[in-house]
Amino acid sequence: MYKLVNDPINGGLADCIKRNADNALIPMVNGNRDYQEYLEWIAEGNTPEEAE
Amino acid sequence: MASIKLRGDTSGEITIQAPAVAGTTTLNLPATSSTLATTAQTEAVYNSLGVRNLIINGDMRIDQRNAGASVTANDQTFVVDRFKFRARLTSKMTAEQVTDVPTGQGFQYSTKITSSSAYTIVSNDYFNFQQILEGQNISHLMFGTSDAKTVTLSFWVKSSLTGNFAVALNNYQASTRAYPAEYTINTADTWEKKTITIQGDTSGTWDTDNTAALGIIFSLGYGSDHEGTKNSWNSTDTNSFSGSVNLLETNGATLYITGVQLEVGDTATEFEHRPYDMELQRCFRYYWQGDGTNYATQYSNGAFIICDLPTHMRVRPTTSYNSTNATGSFADYSRTNRFQLYDNTDPTYNVNTPKADAEL
Repeated sequence: MYKLVNDPINGGLADCIKRNADNALIPMVNGNRDYQEYLEWIAEGNTPEEAE
Repeated sequence: MASIKLRGDTSGEITIQAPAVAGTTTLNLPATSSTLATTAQTEAVYNSLGVRNLIINGDMRIDQRNAGASVTANDQTFVVDRFKFRARLTSKMTAEQVTDVPTGQGFQYSTKITSSSAYTIVSNDYFNFQQILEGQNISHLMFGTSDAKTVTLSFWVKSSLTGNFAVALNNYQASTRAYPAEYTINTADTWEKKTITIQGDTSGTWDTDNTAALGIIFSLGYGSDHEGTKNSWNSTDTNSFSGSVNLLETNGATLYITGVQLEVGDTATEFEHRPYDMELQRCFRYYWQGDGTNYATQYSNGAFIICDLPTHMRVRPTTSYNSTNATGSFADYSRTNRFQLYDNTDPTYNVNTPKADAEL
């Protein structure tokens, strides 16, 4: 459902997550409602896919 | 504290009281006969001088996402800008921007909601049509304090059903305060204007930052778990009341809404028709999308998209796009005023209709 994203400029992981359903990129900021949904999904025991 | 009392011919009296401060204060009365303004009249004048409607896109005219197309109104589905649905179950209704409006009011659009079945509401159900106001735009209401302002909600509505419907105000994020108000649709398939005045809430936590502070919630179907005392502030997240009409229980039932206005004071003034560019700019704070041209700049190792957003969005947005060949290997570097994606795998990407979503 979600996938971690590589940071092609700085290396490592980017500060965003990809939502697989629509390829949307969700920033890891608390005020973003999509990020809140992601956190709820994580709290349910789910794990995002590794970055490619 | 010195005061003067003027007794009327009957039992009434007026007290003119000096302030409990040092020094001399002068109040100049008019040189000719006149009448002092009431608080409501003063508020009405004050409201007329600025943006008095707290609702954005209350006349349903801006529809960036769907351009008038019908959508299945699932949970978190937006129809026109700033108005969305919450729904416990999928595929129970559809919605669209339409040109059916009350005559003589200057509106061009309304939102039409259609029930997709004769669904029997169960206790934990919730289905609603709503707009959430950002805390920074309602701090002057002073909700949650003893100085809380009275507000008036007005809107035009038309339904194939008649009876008593629910619309609520609540402290959206905290979900601990709700005022489910009753309004009555008297005649089927006829536009009617509804006005509801609500004393400001002196309790509860009401956010005043950039988060989801004040919800305006039109009920489409609520179960008993979400029913509270009508026309009163409840200390629970109860956005409806027992006996109210549930639109979704009738297959094909329709509800049209436009001209939604929330303003300070106990009087519903005429709907504030704001300039189109002003309203569009206000919508951009929460959602923006570009056009269908290619936004990608291609270079030897990949592609990037950088464009300035028309205003600072409420928060760093979720970004997405349409494409026939971009498979989604971008990373996002956007900020509240800039859309920026970068990829280092494919120089052929063609990306159109970039979308930035910072909605509540």
